Amino acid sequence: MSDLASTDNSPAPSPGRPSARLQVPSRLFSTLEGVFNEEVFFLILSVFIGIFSGLAVVCFRLAIDWMHLALLGPLPQTHSWRLFAVPSLLGLVVAALVLHVFPSIRGSGVNQTKAALYIFNGSIPFRTAVGKFICAALAIGSGQSLGPEDPSLQIGAGIASALGRQLQISREKLRLMAPVGAAAGLAAAFNAPISAVLFVIEEVIGRWSAGILGSVVLSAVSSVVIVRWFLGCEPLFRIPLTTFKRPTELIAYAVLGIVGGLASVGFAKSIGYLRPRLKALPRWTQYFQPALAGLLVGLIAFLGAPQIMGAGYDSMDQAMHGQYAWKVLAVLAVLKIVATTFSFVSGTPGGMFAPTLFVGAMLGGAVGDLERLFFPQLTASTGTYVLVGMGVLFAGFLRVPMTSVFMVLEVSGNYEIVVPVIVANTFSYLVSRSLQSVPIFDMLTRQDGLILPSLEEDREEAILRVEDAMLPVPTTILSAEDYVDASARRVQNSAGSIFLVRLHPSGWNIITRGQIQRLFQEGKGEHTLASVLPAQSLPSLYPDLPLDSALRYVNDYSLVPVVNRANSRQLEGIVSRDSVFQKYGGKRTPATS
Amino acid sequence: MSWPFPKLVPRSAPVIVLILTLAAGVAFAAVSHLVARYNANQQTRGGKLYAQGLADAGAARYDDAIAAFRAALTCEPTNSQYQLSLARALRDSNDPRRLDEAESYLTALWQRAPQDAAVNLALARVAARRGSIEDATRYYHNAMYGVWNSDPDANRSKARIELIQFLLSNNAPGKAESELMALATALPPEPIAHLQAARLFAEAQDFTGALIQYQEVLRLDQVNSSALTGAGQAAYRSGNYATAQRYLQAAVNANPQDASSRQLLATADLILRTNPFRSHISDAERNRRIAAAFVQAGHRLTECAQQTGVDLKAATTPAAFPLSSLQSRWTAAKPNLAYLRSPAETNLPDTIMDVVFQIEQQTAAICGRPQGLDLALLLISQKREAASQ
Repeated sequence: MSDLASTDNSPAPSPGRPSARLQVPSRLFSTLEGVFNEEVFFLILSVFIGIFSGLAVVCFRLAIDWMHLALLGPLPQTHSWRLFAVPSLLGLVVAALVLHVFPSIRGSGVNQTKAALYIFNGSIPFRTAVGKFICAALAIGSGQSLGPEDPSLQIGAGIASALGRQLQISREKLRLMAPVGAAAGLAAAFNAPISAVLFVIEEVIGRWSAGILGSVVLSAVSSVVIVRWFLGCEPLFRIPLTTFKRPTELIAYAVLGIVGGLASVGFAKSIGYLRPRLKALPRWTQYFQPALAGLLVGLIAFLGAPQIMGAGYDSMDQAMHGQYAWKVLAVLAVLKIVATTFSFVSGTPGGMFAPTLFVGAMLGGAVGDLERLFFPQLTASTGTYVLVGMGVLFAGFLRVPMTSVFMVLEVSGNYEIVVPVIVANTFSYLVSRSLQSVPIFDMLTRQDGLILPSLEEDREEAILRVEDAMLPVPTTILSAEDYVDASARRVQNSAGSIFLVRLHPSGWNIITRGQIQRLFQEGKGEHTLASVLPAQSLPSLYPDLPLDSALRYVNDYSLVPVVNRANSRQLEGIVSRDSVFQKYGGKRTPATS
Repeated sequence: MSWPFPKLVPRSAPVIVLILTLAAGVAFAAVSHLVARYNANQQTRGGKLYAQGLADAGAARYDDAIAAFRAALTCEPTNSQYQLSLARALRDSNDPRRLDEAESYLTALWQRAPQDAAVNLALARVAARRGSIEDATRYYHNAMYGVWNSDPDANRSKARIELIQFLLSNNAPGKAESELMALATALPPEPIAHLQAARLFAEAQDFTGALIQYQEVLRLDQVNSSALTGAGQAAYRSGNYATAQRYLQAAVNANPQDASSRQLLATADLILRTNPFRSHISDAERNRRIAAAFVQAGHRLTECAQQTGVDLKAATTPAAFPLSSLQSRWTAAKPNLAYLRSPAETNLPDTIMDVVFQIEQQTAAICGRPQGLDLALLLISQKREAASQ
């Protein structure tokens, strides 16, 4: 403000000297430069990523809707020739584009985003995002049994990556751009920011990382705001009244979880079996694979099940309101698995989110209605089972247990069904894990020759902690107030060559037997240890810390004290380089002194 | 392989933020334009489908209407009017499975605009289909007190009338009557409105209220034959036979083919001519009427006994007991007829007529509804009984 005021009274600028008026913006910018440190700038950038991703997803959804309306009409009717002609012909177009113009856009896009994070330093070619937009819109709009969420995720990641590269941000931050964009894209497509954030953490990043959480949340929220601005705040489904009255009904949900888990395994195994085989066929067949998948989907629709075309949200909505008998629901679930499997393994760009929800919804409705047929005392409505079923397939097929729970809660806005959802999802997840060790996305990356970290593997991996390598408290512990001659007498009869010294008022240090003897021989027996030891104390560790943290110290210090978190003067044990390396050496025997 | 992307941006954070803000603004404007054009196209397409749906719904082709409304909603998913029409079509399609979906649409609309009378009325009808008196009443009331886009008074009356009909058809005449009271106070000065209200009063067995409404119709339209007949019937049912006679006579005069009114008129005439408790008749006339009624009751008792095969003199079986008991009472009372003229016997007319009424009521229960004078005596007895209560 004072700067601005001073310009009013400033003399006229002389030639060759910058005027005060010109200095003001530069001063302002210098001040702002100070405000925008890298962390703050990255957070601001996350908001812009969310905005651009949200805008892209809005256009993507319009493109899909427009394609669908133009090619198939507002509501596809059975026995129309367009049902199989459109996806077949568009399949040929998509195949040509994928093979010649956009070669890296096959599949859902989740793995590619993950690979960008871990292998390609966060780099996703902008061309991939453009190709994904065009080809996925063509494929989904023409009725292929795929969803728009995973492509949206990749489009968001592609935009973020392009922006990061353009701004030449650090490699460390550039790596994080892809998941930030992915969260924005997914949140915009699903209109569910919490689920998007959790999915990106569970599946794309593959590990909990507090450093990126803020950016992911900001981008997800800003993209959802954009989507809601343009497309309204209407939820994906009109949620019927869902209630959970009696705990005994949890048995019914557990059964649904088991059935959902089995269906998930069947779904995943069919993709895992067919995908590498179709990819191994001669290259010329890849021109026809999407078309044949489209033909199959179209024929299923032509013969009476047009609900399986595209994402299928309208049909899920109707299932939620009891529009289908249980037999129809069961048939639709099976047909959707078949149609999605062939659409996906043919290499057609498109996502698995919506089909997973569709299968889960139909299966949930079918199982729920069947259970109520035998046990009329069950109070939950078909809509409740449909909702829970969605989460069940999410947990079993995509193997993202946390996302599956929050997705149902976020979509339904009803916390009353949280217990049924958790129970059913847990059963589904356990059944799926016990019957298929590798989750679907990991399986797909391994089929593509990549090995990427996964949260599920992380969860199963035993973490080594300091306490695992900890040696017992030594019998001889010196005090900083001890005299050198007294210390020399004490260590004379003690085992070991290195001794801990307790400092006052707190802290630890070490001294070797040789150092003590040398000090004694130098005539410093009347000196205290405090006066002869360096003032700097040793670093200390806590028993629960990961053993990795000990690695930082054991090379520099022969012994590192392990102290109690509640009382740093209380020694719990010590770690040495040998004890730590012995643990990493794979020997599982307890460390001994 | 990646597309070239010119590296134009200066590496100064404030400048980058400024450029990104401008770029976001431009992109936002472009997408706004795109979305607006897309929405305009969708509105046109949706409008056509909606019109088709309305035509189908109007012709009771609900399956076609539902398909058309669904298609319209794919063009404009947030259009409240489309949602409301789809919900109505789902509700009216007589498929119980579709009621849930209809209710879901309507509930979503209600949450957005709880004051919308049309939505509340549609929800009330869904609740009425389910037979839920509490929910239906609540939503009908919401509709009555809600916001109507056009003609609010008429729509409110219609909603209340619908609620009354629903309550009547669901055996809740008490609640219906209170709604009728409210309806009567807010009716427009139109014969047809009062006529409808009068019929509802009659349906709710509130014949006095019905008579008032019919009289209001006749005040507005003196030659309304429906109102004349209705007023006559309402007066007859409420025991107001003199008024009934007047209106029924006018109804028969207006429409000589009206057999029902003619029959009611005959009964009303008979009641007025035979009722011994009618005011402004002489003692002699009253005694004559009592005597005639007593004799008629005796005949009715004998006929009923014959009709049911009961021997009044034997009187051994339990089934025969009421009739024989009545026969005993009738025989015991017969000598008292001679004392009717005695000024000291002030309770005697009531005592004798009690026997007559007992006979008429019991025989009506055992042998069915009587005709002629017996019917008149039965109606008089019912009126007396109602008055004493």
